[in-house]
Amino acid sequence: MRVLTVDDSRTILAMLHHTLSNAGFEVLQAEDGQKGLDVLAREQVDVVITDINMPVMDGIEFIRKVRASGEHNSLPILILTTETSQDKRDQGRAAGGTGWIVKPFDPEKLISVIHRVVH
Amino acid sequence: MSDLDDFKATYFDECSELLTELEEQFAAIEAGDRSSERLNAVFRAIHSIKGGGGAFGFSELVAFAHAYETLLDHVRDGRIELSEPVTTLCIRANDIVADFVNAAKAGASPGPGYGDDERRQFDALTSGNAVERRDADEDDGEPIEDFDIDFVPVMVNLDAGGGPVPPASGLPEDAFGTAPLSVEKGHWEIRFAPHRELYARANDPLLLFRELASLGELTVVAKVGDIPPLADFEPFGVYCSWELTLVAPDVSVEAIAEVFEFVEGNCDLSIAQLAHPRGEEPTLADLAALVAPPPVPPRPAPEMSAAPSFAELAETVKREMPARATPAPPPGLALDPAPLVALEDPEDRRSGPEDRRSAGVQSIRVDLDKVDRVVNMVGELVITQSMLTQQMDDTLRARYQELVRGLEVLAQTTRGLQDAVMAIRAQPVKSVFSRMPRLVRELAQRTGKKIRLETTGEATEIDKTVIEQLSDPLTHMIRNSADHGIEMPEKRRDLGKPETGTIRLSAEQAGGNILIVVEDDGAGINRERVLQVARSKGIIAADATPTDEQIDQLIFAPGFSTAETVSDISGRGVGMDVVLSNIKKIGGSVNVKSRAGQGTRMTLRLPLTLAVLDVMLVKVGSSPYVLPLSSIVETIQCSRAEFGRAPSGAKVLRVRGEYVQVVDLAERFQMHGGAELANRFVVLCEAEGGVKVALIVDDIIGQQQVVIKSLEENFESIDGIAGGTILGDGNVALIVDVQGLRTSQLHKNAA
Amino acid sequence: MENLALRDDYGVGTQANSHNSLQLIAFSIGEQTYGVEITTVREIRAWNGATPLPNTRDYVRGVINLRGTIVPIFDLRARFGEGQTSPTKNHVVVVMSVGDKWVGILVDAVSDILTVGKDEIHSVPEGNSLDTELLNGIVTHDNRMVGLIDLHAVVNGAKMDG
Repeated sequence: MRVLTVDDSRTILAMLHHTLSNAGFEVLQAEDGQKGLDVLAREQVDVVITDINMPVMDGIEFIRKVRASGEHNSLPILILTTETSQDKRDQGRAAGGTGWIVKPFDPEKLISVIHRVVH
Repeated sequence: MSDLDDFKATYFDECSELLTELEEQFAAIEAGDRSSERLNAVFRAIHSIKGGGGAFGFSELVAFAHAYETLLDHVRDGRIELSEPVTTLCIRANDIVADFVNAAKAGASPGPGYGDDERRQFDALTSGNAVERRDADEDDGEPIEDFDIDFVPVMVNLDAGGGPVPPASGLPEDAFGTAPLSVEKGHWEIRFAPHRELYARANDPLLLFRELASLGELTVVAKVGDIPPLADFEPFGVYCSWELTLVAPDVSVEAIAEVFEFVEGNCDLSIAQLAHPRGEEPTLADLAALVAPPPVPPRPAPEMSAAPSFAELAETVKREMPARATPAPPPGLALDPAPLVALEDPEDRRSGPEDRRSAGVQSIRVDLDKVDRVVNMVGELVITQSMLTQQMDDTLRARYQELVRGLEVLAQTTRGLQDAVMAIRAQPVKSVFSRMPRLVRELAQRTGKKIRLETTGEATEIDKTVIEQLSDPLTHMIRNSADHGIEMPEKRRDLGKPETGTIRLSAEQAGGNILIVVEDDGAGINRERVLQVARSKGIIAADATPTDEQIDQLIFAPGFSTAETVSDISGRGVGMDVVLSNIKKIGGSVNVKSRAGQGTRMTLRLPLTLAVLDVMLVKVGSSPYVLPLSSIVETIQCSRAEFGRAPSGAKVLRVRGEYVQVVDLAERFQMHGGAELANRFVVLCEAEGGVKVALIVDDIIGQQQVVIKSLEENFESIDGIAGGTILGDGNVALIVDVQGLRTSQLHKNAA
Repeated sequence: MENLALRDDYGVGTQANSHNSLQLIAFSIGEQTYGVEITTVREIRAWNGATPLPNTRDYVRGVINLRGTIVPIFDLRARFGEGQTSPTKNHVVVVMSVGDKWVGILVDAVSDILTVGKDEIHSVPEGNSLDTELLNGIVTHDNRMVGLIDLHAVVNGAKMDG
């Protein structure tokens, strides 16, 4: 199973990579929404985990563009949010986000959330 | 190193980059650029610092960053104007964030109440906007305006004596709706009617049911009664809903609701305790173990035409179903597997070529240790290569031409490899320069002076190790300029200078060196005072009459500090000698030029690379020493040298009409040479500032390249020695510090 | 990633059995036996010469190359004021870590590994100022007196003017 992780924070990318690859996922990374779209244009992925606040293209716009393309209607997209940014999370959902993960995330919880949205 | 330490290291690296970026953004903001892109970048930087901090439990850091982030959010969307006081507050907040980060890194706390004043100011600013704020993000809840659908709250009836569960709107009446007599614990009935948005967001009822099935025994019944006549049929309409019963004695309503967390608002949902269990044995028809594929995108139209056959399909999913497997039908049931086609096999989707691996990778992050290992090995390779080349005498050259050609290629490749490796380690000096604005701000504040910092050449690249060693010296030099150079505003005004003093910090590459210049337009070095202090502290002899240039260099002498009272800033028991020793440690030198009333310029000359140094290998006593080739002017046999005596009695060398100070290394290093003077050699060296010094050594062995090793790593610095290196035979040779010998000789004369 | 959850456990439980005892490496200089905690010892190697360092005390024998890093060697006999050792191939350098630095101590021979109880450590009797300066304590083992070396003190003040 392949996961695309999109976050401008190296720390978060590294922690996601660690947790996900330990759980047997293949992990792709992108540092902003635009790069995330670039990866999706080239690669098949099974699930996307994206941050909201990013340079160049933020997570909301990224999700909107993914859904607007029509090619990824059934691609689950999880939004990385913090406890205190529920409005962002809701904007992400309105844009087409499937679910969300609250930072700081617990590794087990992360995996179980992914299984909640991926076959 | 544990994973956690790894992540922390990544996090602190990232923080220092983000803090650097904050400095830059605010420099631009202060210069008048308040574009939203800048403000967003500032917000993101703080957000990232906060986010990572949360992962490691740096609660003080997170709390402060959160308050600051709230302010930035208000600034970003215009609720608070980025006035000058707000900008000043933000810059201060950046510094505080940096302090919190540093404290976290050190495993410490900046102290109770640190940053509280600023937080109060954030709160005052943001609560001043409370009215508008309420509109924007009322209670963190669902901003209804973002959703184009009605929200149907989860309906729960836990009251044991409760009446009938009211049917959820829009669901057909059936056996579920009949009034129960008593609530049976652990028997749940769930009605679930997805809206189109649920599918548009790639949620999948199957996955929800699968998760429910992991809680207990689940029965799923698809309701397709809402499918309209074909004339009214919308291909992408949503006509299917489900009724589920879950037998799970120990499960709470919250646990069930959590399964539907992601689809809240995108479906009609009710969860209730079932009054009495449905028939113990579901009919065979009920148990047809299929989940109806939702008749919505992205399902292809042909499947939709099969809709009538969905009627009364259900599936019993055993709770021990493996979490990631496609649900298997219970044994013993005759099933038509065809509808299962609708369940996509995740493996089938992975049909792309295997070259996906390269996805999106343009750079990799490599542990510096690994790079250092390569650097070290390349250094050794360079040395071995140069030793091999030296071994080739004319006879060998004539006889083994192939070998000679091979060695030439090896030399070329080695040099190329060395350059390539060095380029990996090279970094712009920006990472150090960017710490200086804060320093200057603090210095200006504490001294009451007005100081502006100008930086140029920040993109100049130097070896990472050099950059790391640069921070302390630069800090001291800038402190020195602010403390001793720049005058108080009134004084500057009286002198006809602008009230605001300027410190210029620049970097440029000059040949194989990097020049870093710290220049101020202050008062210049007070030479009378310096001389007086140097004499009173015994740094130079009372009767010595140094030149202006020599006096200026005295500020780098150990134990020298001109501040009459040890100030908070330049004091702390260390002075400019720290600058000199740090710079020497990395093979550099320092030069100072000063003009009374006009300012002081200090120049750091640093090697571009630390890895390899071209040296002359000599013997002093029986020990090997090396002299950097870059400082050697010429070598002379002592028997041919013209020595004389200065009026003070000190030995001098006369060379091309110039008298040069002589340092006998055997004597200076107490290495008991014993070689006759005539057989010894003079190595004429040029120290910083073009001053020459003649070193007497016992023998000259040859030239080679060496890798510089630190003595201080395991010992301490030694006067006259710049470091060590390891020779081909494994022995250690010491690197002579030419500049240091000159200076210490001057001091020694004082004794 | 379990480490995230375990972060509070760092630094505990590593030396559960060593609360009350110390393991020492014992070495000799002439008739005298000294010891250092075994955990500080990195390596023991035969004497193979050293490059002398100028302008240092007589007990600094110079520096050696230890796999690419430069490590100073201290002559423990000289440090105790009993004159420089005339080292042979049979003399031993004990390399150990002092703080974040590695240093070598030149001794006559390494004799033993001892386990001593912490409550057996006695304070150093007043009298010889070098002993009180350089030793942390004294233990008795098999009727031998073993001086516990204070490594920090041994390496301090090695420069002529320091």
